[in-house]
Amino acid sequence: MRRFGIVLKYELKEYFSSKGFMVVTVLIALLGAGLLFLPRFVDMSDFTGVKVVGKEEEPGSEEPGEEKKSRFLYLDEAGILHKEVLAELFPGVEWEEAADRAGLSSAVEDRTAQAGFVITGPTEYEYYVYNKSMSDSNPYLFEEAMRVFYRMDYSAKQGWNLEEIDAMYRVPITGSEQVMNKDTGENFWYCYILVILVFMLIVMYGQMIAVSVTNEKSNRAIEVLVTSTTPNSLLFGKVIAGAVGGLFQAALILGAILLSYGVNREFWGGKLDMFLHVPADVLVTFAVFGLGGYLFYAFLYGAMGALVSKTEDVSKSSGVLIMVIMVVYFFSLLQLDNVEGPIIKVLSFLPVSSYSTMFARIAMGTVAPWEIILSFVILAASIYGAGALGAKIYRMGTLRYGNPIRLGAALKEIRKEK
Amino acid sequence: MILEVKDIHKSFGETEVLHGVSFQVKSGKALGLLGRNGAGKTTTIRILMDVFHANSGELLLDGARFVPREHRIGYLPEERGLYPKRTVMDQMIFLGTLRGMGTKEAKQSAKRWLRRLEVEEYAPRKLETLSKGNQQKVQLASTLVHNPEIVILDEPFSGLDPVNSQILKDVINELIAEDRLVIFSSHQMSYVEEFCDHIAIIDKGNVTLSGELKEIKREYGRNRLVLAAEGISPAEIKERAKQVLNGLAVVSEEKREFLILELAEGANRRQVLERLAASDISVERFGSYEPSLNDIFVEKVGEEA
Repeated sequence: MRRFGIVLKYELKEYFSSKGFMVVTVLIALLGAGLLFLPRFVDMSDFTGVKVVGKEEEPGSEEPGEEKKSRFLYLDEAGILHKEVLAELFPGVEWEEAADRAGLSSAVEDRTAQAGFVITGPTEYEYYVYNKSMSDSNPYLFEEAMRVFYRMDYSAKQGWNLEEIDAMYRVPITGSEQVMNKDTGENFWYCYILVILVFMLIVMYGQMIAVSVTNEKSNRAIEVLVTSTTPNSLLFGKVIAGAVGGLFQAALILGAILLSYGVNREFWGGKLDMFLHVPADVLVTFAVFGLGGYLFYAFLYGAMGALVSKTEDVSKSSGVLIMVIMVVYFFSLLQLDNVEGPIIKVLSFLPVSSYSTMFARIAMGTVAPWEIILSFVILAASIYGAGALGAKIYRMGTLRYGNPIRLGAALKEIRKEK
Repeated sequence: MILEVKDIHKSFGETEVLHGVSFQVKSGKALGLLGRNGAGKTTTIRILMDVFHANSGELLLDGARFVPREHRIGYLPEERGLYPKRTVMDQMIFLGTLRGMGTKEAKQSAKRWLRRLEVEEYAPRKLETLSKGNQQKVQLASTLVHNPEIVILDEPFSGLDPVNSQILKDVINELIAEDRLVIFSSHQMSYVEEFCDHIAIIDKGNVTLSGELKEIKREYGRNRLVLAAEGISPAEIKERAKQVLNGLAVVSEEKREFLILELAEGANRRQVLERLAASDISVERFGSYEPSLNDIFVEKVGEEA
C-alpha cells in the first residue's frame, strides 16, 4: 500500500507539474465559465428572451420587424391569389406582382428579386430562384399558401363560411402535465452530453495511460521498476493517477461551467437548462458510474500498453478496446430515448457499458435500488478484475521487447504460469 | 551473509538456456560473472532479481530462501533506463522511497551519491538533457541510492570512458570495503581481476569454472614457468629452449615477450634453472607463470573475450 502511494504521488506529480496540463485545464474552465457571462454584457435576447438591463437601443437603430425585407415576385395566371395570406406566411418578404413571366424570370436572374412564383392553375405553380439552398423552405410555404387560396376559392363557390370552419377545426385544447417521476425530454440532453464526456475521458486518458506504460518499456525503465516494487503498485498507481488527473480536469471544467451557468441562469432565461441544469443526484450517479467505467477501461488500457514496447504500436494493441468503447458508446446514445427498454437494461449491468447506461436510466427512467447496487457491485468487481489482469499482463510483458504481444498469447501465458 | 545459487535451470519455450548454474558469494567479497554474449549471465542475474522465474533450482541467503524484495538490493540492469522527462533528483527520490527510504533520507542519500559520482550539478535537470556517460552515472547513483546490502551490476562498465570507469572502480572497491555483497558481470576481464575474489565463468548455460580467483590462477599456473632472454626473440629462444631443456620442460605457449614452459613429470624448477644457467642463454626473466583471467577464460571458453 505504501509503495502504491509512492507511485501514485510520483505519477500525479507528472500531471500536476505539467504546465501544459494545468494551463489547458484552467484556460478551458475560464473560457467555458466566461462565455456563460456573455448575456450579462451582450444582447442575446433573440435567443435568451432576456434583455440586458440598462442596455439602451442605439439611436437610429431600426425597430424590430423593420429590417430589410426580401423582394419576391408573383404572377397569378389563375386569379386565386390573396396577398394578405402571403404576407402572413412570409413575414420577411415584400411581395410584388410581376408584369409577365419574362420580367419575373429576368428579375430573379439578375438578382433584383430573391424569388418568384407563377401560379399557373388552382393547384399548380412554378418557382423561380437563382441559387437554391438546402434549407430553402419557400416552396413549402408557398404550397401552404396555395392550399389556403384553394380553400378560400372553393368555400366562396360553395357559399361556405371558411372562418367558421377553420375555427371549428382549430378549437384550442388546454392540458396540464403531472410528471410523476422523470421527464425524459427534459433530462435527455444533459445525459447525452455526460455520456459524450465520459467517452472522451476514457478514450483520451486511456490512451495516455497506455502510452505511459509503453514508455516505461521503450525507455527501459521497467526492469528497474519491477525489481523495486510490485507490478500491482506500479499499474494501480499509474492508472489511479491518470484517473485523478482526468477527474480533476473534468471536475474543474464542468464545475466552472455549471457554477457559472448557475450564477447567470436568469440571464439565459433558462435556455441552457437542458444541458447545464443537472440535478445533484444525477451528477453523483454520473460521478460514481462514470469514474467506475473510466477506471475499468483505464486498467485495460494499461494492460494494452504493456503488450507493446514502442509507443507507435499502442494503437495496434488498444484497437480492440477502442472498438468495444465505440460500440458501447453508439449503443448507449441510440438507447437514450428508450430507457425502459430491455437492451439498455442489460447494458446497464455490463461493466463495459454501465458507466453510461446506468446513470442514463437513473436520470431518465425508473431504476430499483437493488439494480443500482448490483450494477455497481459488478462494476467494482470488474474494476478489480481488470486491475489484477492488467498487472499480470504488465508483469508478463516486462522485458518482452520487439513485436507486439497478442492479447490471446498473453492470456495463454498467464494461464500457463498459474 | 552468503548468497547461494544452486543448480538453476531455465527454459524459454522449448529451449533450455541455463543447465544447472551454481555459485556462491559472501558479504565483503565480489563475484565476477563471466561469459560470452548469450552465455546466460543476464538470465542468471534476472532470476536472482526475480524478473524471471527459474524452472528449477534454489536461491538461498544464509541458508534460507532468497526473496529479493525482502532485502535492500541495488540492481543495475543491462538494459539501462530511467524516466527521460523527469529530473534526476525526482527519480532518485522516487526510487529511494520505493525501496524503503523516507523522502528526506532518500534526498540526502541521492545528493551524496550524485556528489560521489561527480554529477551533483545535474540533480535539477531532466535526465534526457544529460550526456550518455552522465546518464549512466545517474543510473548507478539510483542503483545505490537506498544503500543496498547486496549490489548486482550487469555490465556496469559498458559505455563508460576511462575516467568514468575509474570512478566506478573506486565506488565498487568502496562497496566491497563496506562489507557489501557484490555481483557483477562483465566482458572486461581486467576489471573483474581488480575486484573479484571469486569468479564464475558461464558458457552456453553451464558454469564451466567457479571459485576463488587466486586459487584458480594458482591451479592454472601450477607446473608452468615463464622464460625470457636478453637479445633473442621468443621464437629464437623457443628453439634453444627445446634443446637445452630437453626432458625437463616443454614450451607450451609462445607469447610476444616470453615463453611459457610446462614442467615434465618429475622435473622441478631448480633443475630447469640449473640447466639454463649452464647454457649460453642470457636469462632475463624466469619464474612461476600466473595466468591472466583472460588466459583462463580463453582456455575455458575457447575464444578471446
